[in-house]
Amino acid sequence: MKQLTSMKGKAVKQVAIIILAVFLLTLPLYIDSAYIMHLLIMACIGTILGMTFSLLFSTGLISLGAAAFYAVGAYISAVLSMNFGFSFWGAFPVTVIASACLALVVGSIFVRSGGIAFAIITLLFASAIVLAAGQVEYLGGWGGIIGIARPTPLGPVEFTNKTPYYYLALAILALVILAFYALYTSRIGRAWKAIKLSPNLSGTLGINLYRYRLLAFVVAAAGAAAAGSFYAHYFQTVTPGAFGGWLSIYIQLYAVLGGLEFYLLGPAVGAVLMTFIPEYLRVIKEYEPIVTGVLLLIVILFFPGGILGSIINSEKINGARLWSRISSIGTWMKKSR
Amino acid sequence: MALLEIKNITRIFGGLIAVRDLSLDVNEGEILGLIGPNGAGKSTLFNIISGFIPPNKGKIFFKGEEITGLRIDQIAQKGIARIFQEPTLFMQETVFENVLSGFHRHYRQPFWKAFLHTPAANREETLKKEKALEILDFMSLTSMSNELAANLPHGHQRALAIAIALATGPELLLLDEPVTGMNPTETMGMVEKIKRIRQRGITVLIVEHDMKAVMSLCDRIVVLSLGVKIAENMPAAIRKDEQVIEAYLGKQVI
Repeated sequence: MKQLTSMKGKAVKQVAIIILAVFLLTLPLYIDSAYIMHLLIMACIGTILGMTFSLLFSTGLISLGAAAFYAVGAYISAVLSMNFGFSFWGAFPVTVIASACLALVVGSIFVRSGGIAFAIITLLFASAIVLAAGQVEYLGGWGGIIGIARPTPLGPVEFTNKTPYYYLALAILALVILAFYALYTSRIGRAWKAIKLSPNLSGTLGINLYRYRLLAFVVAAAGAAAAGSFYAHYFQTVTPGAFGGWLSIYIQLYAVLGGLEFYLLGPAVGAVLMTFIPEYLRVIKEYEPIVTGVLLLIVILFFPGGILGSIINSEKINGARLWSRISSIGTWMKKSR
Repeated sequence: MALLEIKNITRIFGGLIAVRDLSLDVNEGEILGLIGPNGAGKSTLFNIISGFIPPNKGKIFFKGEEITGLRIDQIAQKGIARIFQEPTLFMQETVFENVLSGFHRHYRQPFWKAFLHTPAANREETLKKEKALEILDFMSLTSMSNELAANLPHGHQRALAIAIALATGPELLLLDEPVTGMNPTETMGMVEKIKRIRQRGITVLIVEHDMKAVMSLCDRIVVLSLGVKIAENMPAAIRKDEQVIEAYLGKQVI
């Protein structure tokens, strides 16, 4: 009986994925606003970035600098395109590999610490990347790099309007999802989860905490760099200001809002909502950030499992539980010291 | 050569000497009991063997190879499994997933094959799942395999901790108070389980306060008091040892 229900659940899941894929692939047919298409593209990018935050979270690490390798990827891709004559198609894989190599170097130092220390190190690293980019003449200083080439035509497809960019973003997103999903469902993902749930127990099982966290750091960096490479050739401009501290905070919000325990779907839900809700609140103009902020506070305080967590577990919210959530933050901070 | 050789281990915490110049051999295939009053240094010794705390002085050899100063996971990779005193499990995972995690060190397919889910990697995964079911059956946990570890009663959590340790395929199993807090029936069940674990060819080093369990289980017993070994003998002789009685009850009682 149990097996039957699980098979049914699997079938429902597959059908849902197919419907979602068809919907996403045919979406440009129903939308004629270039601006909405732009928001969809940004939602794809936001989803990728949120997923890289969740990937590190799945090993028990909290990164406050999720935008760091997004910036690194954008700059590498811009330099490859402007100074070395790479097209997007050549720059993209080189950028991903180069960023992964850089992540291997800095990550081998960063992941030696966990908890609050790791969070602060990543925050400083992301800030340092932005400041360094602003100071270096070769990278255009604070003015950034302007005039990066669009992707060269792919057969008959030319990148002159939003639709091909949308499909390109969707393809990169699909690639990232496939790679992450393959990791989560393998023994590697199981080891990540073990480290997150109990570092001590996973150690006594022979799991090398350092090595597995480093792997997660490198994979997350590669994902963020892929998004960064796309960004450079989509906006055709890369400036340090675009990767400032707020961006990293937004990326975390995507993951938290959607539901931290949903490593793939959570950031997608969060990124779509965070991209579109502020747009529809534009009617109230300057009060929009306040309303968005209050909405976020309500969701995070009263639905700590995120939107998906609240729908799927449908826990009753009561005072005692809320208090236990708040005090658990205190215990978490004590633990991570 | 003994399976585990502890040579002149000393560990000091601040001004307290938790373990003082302790030497101890664990022979292959035996069940060795480690007893002593609270604060005798039993848990410290466990933490030193499994790599959680480095010793200040002394060396530890496993199968003739020095393991002092190795990381926790490196020691686990050598074949030493350790059960914590507090139930330490992956609480938010099912019983089955908990045991599956225990097989970590036995995967032979490389990273990239696991990532790409190649047929060889999938076969390996299926094999591990079958073995996990076998271990669940051995520890009488089959009926709970889909429960979250957090929802298990205390006794079953202990059994699950041992099941995870067995999945690592250890040669030496360190058990920290496996029957403390259990009722007599549960205790007897656990004692039988531990005997059967030894029959599987696993050497057991056990810390326990329940004297009845220790006496019926162990081939040899080592008694610690204030970080020093005060006796090492067969259970029957330990029972009559005056120094041991003194350490447990104090001099005036005798």
